[in-house]
Amino acid sequence: MELSAIMKDKLNAGDNVVALHEGVLLQGWSPKAHRLLALVERNLSFGLFVFTTSRNPPQAFTDLTINFVVPIDSDFKCDIDSLSAESNSDIYINLSARNFKLFMGMDSGHETNHFFNELSRSMDLYLKNQQTLDFQWLKKYNINDIDLELGLMMNINGDNTSNNIITANMAVAENDISFPTGTQTLSSRESVIQRQMILSEEQYTNAQNFRIYIGTWNVNGQPTLSSLNDWLTCDSEPPDIYAIGFQELDLSKEAFLFNDSPREEEWLQAVTKSLNSKGNYKKVSLVRLVGMMLIVFVKNKHMDHVKNVATDTVGTGIMGKLGNKGGVAVRMDFHNTSLCFVNTHLAAHVEEYERRNQDYQNICSRMVFSNFIPPKTVKDHNQVYWFGDLNYRITEMDAISVKDLVRKNNFKNVLEADQLKQQHRAGNVFKGYKEGSINFLPTYKYDPGTNDWDSSEKNRAPAWCDRILWRGNSIKQLAYRSHPNLLISDHKPVSALFESEVRVVDLTKYRKIHEHIMKKLDKAENEYLPQVMVDNTEIIFHNVKFMEPQLKELTVANTGQVPVQFEFIKKLDDSTYCKEWLRIEPFMSFIDPGEKCDITLEVLIDKKSAYKMISGQDKLYDILVLHLDGGKDIFITVTGNYERSCFGCSLETLCYLKVPIKNIPFGKLMELENNKSNMTSDPYPVPKEVWYLVDHLYRHGLKQEHLFEHSGLRSEFVQIRNWLDNGTPDALPGSVHSVAEALLILLDSTSEPIIPYNLHATCLSAVSYYSQCKQIISQLPERSKNVFLYLCAFLQELLNHVNDNKLDVKTIASVFGEIFIRDPPRSRSDKSGHTRTSMSRKKTNFVYHFLVNDQSDLIINTSF
Amino acid sequence: MAKKTYDLLFKLLLIGDSGVGKTCILFRFSDDAFTTTFISTIGIDFKIKTVELQGKKIKLQIWDTAGQERFHTITTSYYRGAMGIMLVYDITNEKSFENIVKWLRNINEHANEDVEKMILGNKCDMDDKRVVGKSRGEGIAREHNISFLETSAKANINIEKAFTDLTLSILNKTPGREPTDVPEKINIDRKSDRLSNRCC
Ligand SMILES: Nc1nc2c(ncn2[C@@H]2O[C@H](COP(=O)(O)OP(=O)(O)O)[C@@H](O)[C@H]2O)c(=O)[nH]1
Ligand SMILES: [Mg+2]
Repeated sequence: MELSAIMKDKLNAGDNVVALHEGVLLQGWSPKAHRLLALVERNLSFGLFVFTTSRNPPQAFTDLTINFVVPIDSDFKCDIDSLSAESNSDIYINLSARNFKLFMGMDSGHETNHFFNELSRSMDLYLKNQQTLDFQWLKKYNINDIDLELGLMMNINGDNTSNNIITANMAVAENDISFPTGTQTLSSRESVIQRQMILSEEQYTNAQNFRIYIGTWNVNGQPTLSSLNDWLTCDSEPPDIYAIGFQELDLSKEAFLFNDSPREEEWLQAVTKSLNSKGNYKKVSLVRLVGMMLIVFVKNKHMDHVKNVATDTVGTGIMGKLGNKGGVAVRMDFHNTSLCFVNTHLAAHVEEYERRNQDYQNICSRMVFSNFIPPKTVKDHNQVYWFGDLNYRITEMDAISVKDLVRKNNFKNVLEADQLKQQHRAGNVFKGYKEGSINFLPTYKYDPGTNDWDSSEKNRAPAWCDRILWRGNSIKQLAYRSHPNLLISDHKPVSALFESEVRVVDLTKYRKIHEHIMKKLDKAENEYLPQVMVDNTEIIFHNVKFMEPQLKELTVANTGQVPVQFEFIKKLDDSTYCKEWLRIEPFMSFIDPGEKCDITLEVLIDKKSAYKMISGQDKLYDILVLHLDGGKDIFITVTGNYERSCFGCSLETLCYLKVPIKNIPFGKLMELENNKSNMTSDPYPVPKEVWYLVDHLYRHGLKQEHLFEHSGLRSEFVQIRNWLDNGTPDALPGSVHSVAEALLILLDSTSEPIIPYNLHATCLSAVSYYSQCKQIISQLPERSKNVFLYLCAFLQELLNHVNDNKLDVKTIASVFGEIFIRDPPRSRSDKSGHTRTSMSRKKTNFVYHFLVNDQSDLIINTSF
Repeated sequence: MAKKTYDLLFKLLLIGDSGVGKTCILFRFSDDAFTTTFISTIGIDFKIKTVELQGKKIKLQIWDTAGQERFHTITTSYYRGAMGIMLVYDITNEKSFENIVKWLRNINEHANEDVEKMILGNKCDMDDKRVVGKSRGEGIAREHNISFLETSAKANINIEKAFTDLTLSILNKTPGREPTDVPEKINIDRKSDRLSNRCC
C-alpha cells in the first residue's frame, strides 16, 4: 500500500494528509532515530504529526505510532539550516512550538523541498485565516506513548519552556558507572524526566479557570491616595491574582540616582489596603526600578501552587541603561502554568513611536530570569501580561477632532490613528500579543485633580498611553477599562480582568505518569547499554606443539544500539590480560551497532613457557575478561592440551628417559621435573636427545661452514622435534644447520641453564682464571657438568676442522656463552647496553677457556 | 510538583550457584518478565532500575554474576564496591543451599566490610520439589544476622520486596548522606559542580 494511504487509515476521517516526509532525529541517544513527519489538514487548519514506525517501510496503519501532534499556529516556527550542512547533502531543520522543539536531519532533495513548501504554505494560510481556525480536531488524537528520543532531543537542544531549575545538593553518588554516550548523567536524566512530564502535561493536568486582575497607573510622582478601591475593587468578585503596575511612582532625584524611594512603602500600603476585601491576599513579589513598580498578589489559598518566583528589571532610559524608562517583571509558575507580568514605561514624546518599539524590543531581549537553566525570557512563558504606560499617542489627527470624537464615545475612528494599533498591525511591536477593544476615554493627559483635558499651551491630543496586552492560549478578557475617578495624576489608571486557563496537576495521574516515565527511562537506559554476542566463550586448542603457533578466531558482534568499545582487561592481581603464551589481536577495538569484529587468538608455546607446561607450573588454561566500556564483562575460557616434548625438559629429566618422551605419561614427567620420582634405573650420562643431535653434527657437520651461525628452517625444526619426541626409526631429518639450531633451542628451553643462575656472578668474576672456571664446572650438578664437557669436547673437535669449516673459536665461544650462562628471563632489558656487552665478553671468555685448553683432567673425574 | 532534591546510586550484587535463578530474579525486577530458557551467565552483567524510597530517588545498578565454579575467583573481584549483596540458593537444590556458607565466606574475604547482605531461597513456587525447608534458610540467616526471604522469580513472589528491603537497609545506614532539603524557590547556584565530582 502507498504510504499516504496507510497514513490515511491511521487518521480520523476527514483529516487529510497534505505532505509526508521522513527524517532523522539528531543528537538523540541512538545513532539513528527515524521519524515520519506528516502535514495534516482539516478545514484549512493544519497540524504537524510525528510518527514512529515499527516496520520500515510500514505495511499497515498498526505499524505507525503517533508521537506528537502540533498545531500550525502562531507558536509554530520552522527554520531550515542549510549552512550547517558541511560534508554531506543533509539539511537540518528546527521545528518548534509550545513545549515542543525538534531538530531533524533530512536529505536535501525534491521530496524535502516539497514537504517544506507545503509546510510554509500552511503557515501562511494560518496567518490569513487565524480568526476562523479551529484546532479542536487535533485534540482527538490521544498521544499516550511518550517518545523518549523526542524528549531527549529537547533536552539536548535546551528548550526554554521547561521548569529546568537546578537544585543544589544533588549528591550524585555516581561512582563507577560510565554510560556509553558519556553525557548521560543522573541530572540530565532528571531533566529528561522533567521534559517528558511537560510533554505529557495534558495527561496529568486539568484546565481550570482563574481570574487575573491587571492594573496600571502612571501616578506622576504624586503621593498616594488613602483609598484605591475605585480602581482595585471595582469588581464584586475577588480575583485570584492581582498584578499592579505603577509608573512615575517617584520623580525625585534620589529615586532616579539611588533607586531609593519612600513612596514604595506608601503605595504598597495603599494597594494592600485596597485589594478586594472578600479575598485574602498574600504578596508574592514586589519589584521596582526608579518609578516603575510591580506588585503581584495571590489569594492565600493558592500560595502553595506558586513556585519559582523571579523578577528582573530593564532600564532603557538615557544610554539605554538608566531606569527612568524601561520595565520590571515578575514571573512565576502557577500550578503547572508559567505566568509572566511585565510593567513597562516606554519612551515619551508624541512622534517617538519608533523609540517605543525599540524599547519594547530591548525589554524583550534584556529581560532575563537568569536563575534558570537555560535562562528564561519573557516569551518563554505560557501566559504573558504586558502593561504600563506604553506612551503611544494619537497622530494624524488634531487635538480638537480627537476631543470631539471621544466626547461622543466614537473611539473607533480615533483608535485608527492610535500608534500602538498601527504599529501592532504592521507587526513592528507586540508580535503575538492581543489587546481587547478599547471602550474608555483616553487616559492622558488631564489636568491633575480633574477630569479635564490638559490645559497647558501644548494642547496635545489626548491618547491611550496606558494599555494592557496579553499573550497565550485560553485567556479571556472579561473587562478592560479606565478609572476616571482617581484624579491625582495626569494619567488615569487602567485595569483589565481576565479569565485564564491554568493547568492544574492531578496528583494521582501525575504520579502514575511519572512512574511510567521512570520505567521507560530505565528500560531505555538498559537497552542503550552496550551489548555484544560472542560466538564462543570456550576456546579449545587441540594438540598444541612446541614452537608451533596455533590460531583461533573469536567473533564479537555488536547486537546493541550503541557503539561498543571492548577491551580485554586484567583480572585480579594479574599483570597482563592474558598468559604469556597467548596473543590477542586486536585486544581492544570499537564496533558499531550491527557490525562485527574478528579477534585472533594465537597460542605459542616457546622456550619461555615450555618448561612451565612440562613441570606443571602453568597449563594451557586461561580465563579472559572481555570488558565492554560502560557495560558488562564476558568471560572467555581458553583451554587446550600441550603435546609434551623434550624441549622444555630439564637435562636431569631427559637423562632418565630411556624411551621417546611420547611414551612417558605426563604425570611421570611432572614428578621427574619436580624431583619427586625415585628412578631406579641408571640415568644416561647425557640426554639421548643431546647425544643424537651432537652425534649427527659430528658425523655430518664437522666440515660445514657457518655451523651454529646460520639459522635452520622452521619446517625442519618441526621434523627434528617430532623425530626426537616420537622416536622414529628413520634417520634424523633436516639439514645440519637445522640440527645445530635444534640443539641450541633444546639447551635454551630448560628452566635453568647448564650453569645455574645462582652461579652466574661467580662465573663472570672468575673468567680471568681458568683454574677457577674449572673449579666451578667441577662443582656443577652431575648431568649439567656432563653435558657441558661433552659439548666442549665436541666443539673442540669442530674447531680442529677450521680449515674446512672456517669457524672462529671466539664466535663459537660467544654463541655457547649465551647458552651455557643464559640470562634469567626478563633480566636483559634491565641492564644497560654497556653492562650487557661486558657481560657477553665475559661469558665468551669463560667458554673460550674450555675450547682451547685440554680438559682430560676434568673428564677423568666424571663417570662419562 | 514534587521537586527532586536528591539522587543516590547503589551498587548491588547477586551471587550464588549457577542455575539458582539469579538472572531470572534480576530480569523479573528490571523488566517484570520471566523466561524458562536457561542461558548460563558467562561473565558479569548489570541492569539499571530506579526506585523511589522515603522520598528519594535511588538508582540501583544491579550486577549479575556467573555462578560456575571456575569463575569463582574472578567474580570475587567484583565484590568490591558492592553496597548490597544477595546470596541466592534454590530451595529444590540441597547443594546450592550448602554452598551459601561458602559464598558467605567469599563475601567476608572480598567484599566491603559494611556490605548489606540478604539471603534468598528462590524457586519457592516449586513446593513439590522442595528439599530445603524454609526454617533452614531462616536458621542460617539468623546465625549470620542477615535478613532472609523465600522468593520466586517465576511467580513474582517477594522479588520487589527483596530489592526494596536491601535498598532500605543500605539507605538507613547512610546518615552522612542525609539530604538537605532544597527550598522550592529558585536557587542561585547555577553551575553546580556535580559533574566534576563524578568519577567513573
Ligand atoms: N520454577 C522456577 N524456576 C526458576 C525460578 N527462577 C529461575 N528459574 C529457572 O531456573 C533456571 C536458571 O535460572 P537463571 O536465572 O538462569 O539462574 P542463574 O544461573 O542463577 O542466573 C532457568 O531455567 C529458570 O527458568 C523460579 O523462581 N521458579
Ligand atoms: Mg545467570
